[in-house]
Amino acid sequence: MPEWLIFLARATAVFLLTLFLVRIMGKRQTSQMTFFDLITAIVIGVLAASFTLNLAGNMTGTFIALLVWTALPLAIYFLSIKFKSVRDVVQGKETILINHGRVLEDKLMEARMTPEDLLSQLRRKNIYKVADVEFAVLEPSGEVSTMLTKAQQPLTPKAMGLQVGQESVPQTVILDGVIMDEALTAMGLNRHWMHEELEKIGVAPENVFIAQVDSVGQVYVDLFDDVVNVPKPKTKELLHAILRKCQADCELYALATKNEKAKQMYTETSKTMTQVVAELEPLLKR
Amino acid sequence: MTVSSQVKQTLASLKGSRATLETFATVEENEEAKETLIRNRKRLDQVIDKFEQRLSELEFEEPEYKGF
Repeated sequence: MPEWLIFLARATAVFLLTLFLVRIMGKRQTSQMTFFDLITAIVIGVLAASFTLNLAGNMTGTFIALLVWTALPLAIYFLSIKFKSVRDVVQGKETILINHGRVLEDKLMEARMTPEDLLSQLRRKNIYKVADVEFAVLEPSGEVSTMLTKAQQPLTPKAMGLQVGQESVPQTVILDGVIMDEALTAMGLNRHWMHEELEKIGVAPENVFIAQVDSVGQVYVDLFDDVVNVPKPKTKELLHAILRKCQADCELYALATKNEKAKQMYTETSKTMTQVVAELEPLLKR
Repeated sequence: MTVSSQVKQTLASLKGSRATLETFATVEENEEAKETLIRNRKRLDQVIDKFEQRLSELEFEEPEYKGF
């Protein structure tokens, strides 16, 4: 057998073997790799390379080394899933760097981090003032996670005391011009309804690139033809405006009428309408 | 515009909103949101009833504006 053929066969075999071994090691992402994972990955890489070129001059030895370096990490992963103590040793524990807004210097030292490192990590999270940080942790993967002080946290509807409507995930019903029946039936809709909705906004189904339906059945479309301007669904806003107008009308009639009974009736309906508007506002406007 | 035609207009808007609410409630999957929609649709029903009653009184008072 010519030498190049041996190389070809060995390289292919090692390639497939490594691929297989790495696959059974699981799918931890490189972004959340610990230092140990990195070492394992490098060693496996080096072993695979030396196996391919037969650098060690001993194929069986290289093969065994490769097996050991995949089997042992695998065993340790399984153990670390089962036992927390193993997990702490192998994957490392998180280190609290800032607590109650104060930087813990000894912990910083323990994590081998300079104050500059800490500041640069915080800057990456758009934090320029240490005073804004209530709590910061160095994750085993080397990333710093932060919790801002209450006053610096982003404004949420809850903090504003606003009630928001419950909204479920919008379903994607057309992709690349193809109607997704499964998504439609999940919402209790069908093709017939879809065609009707598209007709309402005046577009052909085959011109639709993406169409999504929100929880109340409003359709948002993106067309292949980007020149065409598709009207955005405004039913919700419109409904809210109309309800408010009706409420105002009731008040107006209550003021205008001279009939006592009618006045009372209009006042009552105006109250009901106020309730309706208030209750629906989270659903329709937010 | 006479009073009765104004009231009729409001009534039409109310009925339209009611219908929209009903469509929303049919499609909505979230139980809580669905309940809110149905509850408020019922409220609109009450209001519509009252308006219709008032409208018949108005038509009785001003028979020349009967109908649409």
